[in-house]
Amino acid sequence: MNSSLAHSKTFRRSRRNRIKATPYLFLLPFATLFTAFFLLPILYALEQSLFTQHRSGLGLGTPTVRFSGLSNYFDVFRDPVFYQGVGRVVLYGAVQIPTMLGLALLLALLLDTATVRFKNFIRMAAFAPYAVPSVVAALLWGFFYNPRFSPIVQVMQALGLGTPNLLGPDAIVFSLANIAVWQWTGYNTLIIYAGLQAIGPELYEAARVDGCTGIQMARFIKIPLVAPTLILTTIFSIIGTLQLFNEPLVLKQISNSISNVYTPNLYAYYTAFGNNNYNYAAALAVLLAFVTFVFSFGFLRLSNRAGDS
Amino acid sequence: MKRQRNLVPRNQRSFLGVLTTLTTLIALGTLTGAGAQTPKVVNLTYWNWGVEGTQGQIDRFNASHPGIKVTWNKVPSSGFYDKLSTALKADNAPDVANIELQFLPTVISTGGLIDLNKYGVAAYKARFEPWVWNQVALGGSTYAIPTDLGPMGMLYRADLFKKYGVAVPKTWAEYASAASKLHAADPKLFITTFAPNDAGWFSGMAWQSGAKWFEISGDSWKVTINDSATKRVAQYWQDLIDKKLVKPGPIWADGWYNDLQTGEVATWLTASWGTGFLESFAPKTSGNWRVAPLPSWEAGKPAASNWGGSTTAVTKSSKFPKEAATFALWLGTDLKGSVKPLVKTGAWFPAVRGAMDNADLSLTSKFYGNQAVNRVFKNASRVVDTRFQWGPTMSQVYRDLQDGFGAAVNGKGNLSSVLDTVQESTLAAMRKQGFDVK
Repeated sequence: MNSSLAHSKTFRRSRRNRIKATPYLFLLPFATLFTAFFLLPILYALEQSLFTQHRSGLGLGTPTVRFSGLSNYFDVFRDPVFYQGVGRVVLYGAVQIPTMLGLALLLALLLDTATVRFKNFIRMAAFAPYAVPSVVAALLWGFFYNPRFSPIVQVMQALGLGTPNLLGPDAIVFSLANIAVWQWTGYNTLIIYAGLQAIGPELYEAARVDGCTGIQMARFIKIPLVAPTLILTTIFSIIGTLQLFNEPLVLKQISNSISNVYTPNLYAYYTAFGNNNYNYAAALAVLLAFVTFVFSFGFLRLSNRAGDS
Repeated sequence: MKRQRNLVPRNQRSFLGVLTTLTTLIALGTLTGAGAQTPKVVNLTYWNWGVEGTQGQIDRFNASHPGIKVTWNKVPSSGFYDKLSTALKADNAPDVANIELQFLPTVISTGGLIDLNKYGVAAYKARFEPWVWNQVALGGSTYAIPTDLGPMGMLYRADLFKKYGVAVPKTWAEYASAASKLHAADPKLFITTFAPNDAGWFSGMAWQSGAKWFEISGDSWKVTINDSATKRVAQYWQDLIDKKLVKPGPIWADGWYNDLQTGEVATWLTASWGTGFLESFAPKTSGNWRVAPLPSWEAGKPAASNWGGSTTAVTKSSKFPKEAATFALWLGTDLKGSVKPLVKTGAWFPAVRGAMDNADLSLTSKFYGNQAVNRVFKNASRVVDTRFQWGPTMSQVYRDLQDGFGAAVNGKGNLSSVLDTVQESTLAAMRKQGFDVK
């Protein structure tokens, strides 16, 4: 009897063990890829950032790599180019994010009104730019900005408004922001629109009974209830904006106003592959990730506090 | 009753079976691979960005060297050195790579190139101009074999100069006055485009002026990017920019190709290889261009410089360095198979001496109004200042110059102050990377 009891216990245990393994087996492909292409490179970058290259004399040979602790990070703290880059993307973000999300919110609210026709077409049209790869989008807009080819410039010249220099130092931030707004508004519209669908129709009925107009409904019901979605999209946008890379890299070919270190990401790229200084580039990348974390977490904290008040 | 306990449940058993079979197959595969004979034909990879005639050179080499097979990988010029440095770091770089003279010290200082002296290349030193060999043989080792050069000259629209009655300038002073005359005659016409985005061009101007940016003295580097020779070049062009007599803009860009085609740019100060590029950029202007020597700083004292020019180097990743060195040497010195065919098509201005006979020098080009273009560049190559040396961080120098010039052209600072800034940043960058700098 003892043996059969023990047997049944082990049998139950082994059955439980077997069931427990299955979800992990399902996660295995994702976990392997996540570890290989996300975690390991980050750990590698962290490791690389703790070393520096050393040469002596003419330096015409392989440099020796020595452990140097946090000296790369101290160098980044003292590096004005890094701060200038961060300042630039913050300025760029201050222009681009409110514009894009404002447009996205407006479009989502419009789509949500019952009287809008061709709803599906508008949704597709707004979303289509997102399907264009960002490098292709930058190339396309490059032609729109190039004074020789630009229909915008030609129209303005025809109207007697002079020749705007869309790639000049005054306009370049707006020109870059415009590309991102064009590309991402549709994407954010869909997210906000989905958030709007989650609002129960009873609220609208009650509001209508109370005599609310459409605009009042948007102001007092829709926007406050879609606020969590807006916070989500803002955080995504902040993260994307701070890592700005594609558009300046492409437009750099045709504009005198974009330097090689225009954004922190470009600076890291140039440091690694132009200057062969992989260790310093790793430190730059880690600190950029840290700055991104600070901004997005800070914004989340701010909005939570505002929500509580 | 005792239940039969399967230690390995059924589904796991079949999985293990498949796994075992796969492992055995892979093991067998590697065994056969290892046991195979060492290949009779050595395979080499060669990177360049698509110089016309390269495939012909490769085919002729493969035909004349039965034990070696070279494969050409065309890597676009934009980002070429970034890709090469990444490949060197990952140790899967091509056996042989085309490296321009100005970036050779940079690539050498990654430790990625081998010393070719052990393959007897030092014996070929006398076949090259001394200033060229000085740029490939550094610190007692020879790192690359020169293939072609880029002596600089002035390509100009003879028809436009004639139309507006402006004499073709022989000195920089004459060039400046030609600039104002041409622009006054046609407000859409500029004498040239000032390009902040290609510091190679500006280096050539500084070189011609007698600048000596980098110098090896003993076991350390001497850096003077803001010397007086370079400053006078910067002040000259800043003056033209301030007077709006040159068009500020990126070259190698669509807007500039358009300007060349529509006749809004009257000259291009460029290297010998620019002649071929111009033909492809502005085919509609065929017959209107001529070639002249670069304007000089002093009347009657012609001076020239070099822009670009390439070498062939062997990387540390190569498993067959001896064969790779043979190929590199062949590319630069074999007159019949490699050099002369590319001279004939105008793709190369050869580095090796004696490659251009009278027939080559008298070759005329319809695009350039039946002028013997090679002769102009040959004369230029004889007066190239021999003391110019490139530094080990040219990528950084070029990019800092380009960024600074871009800002200056937009009104933030001037070209002279950019030179001072770049001098400081270069000293800092070199010291940071451990180079011994005085």
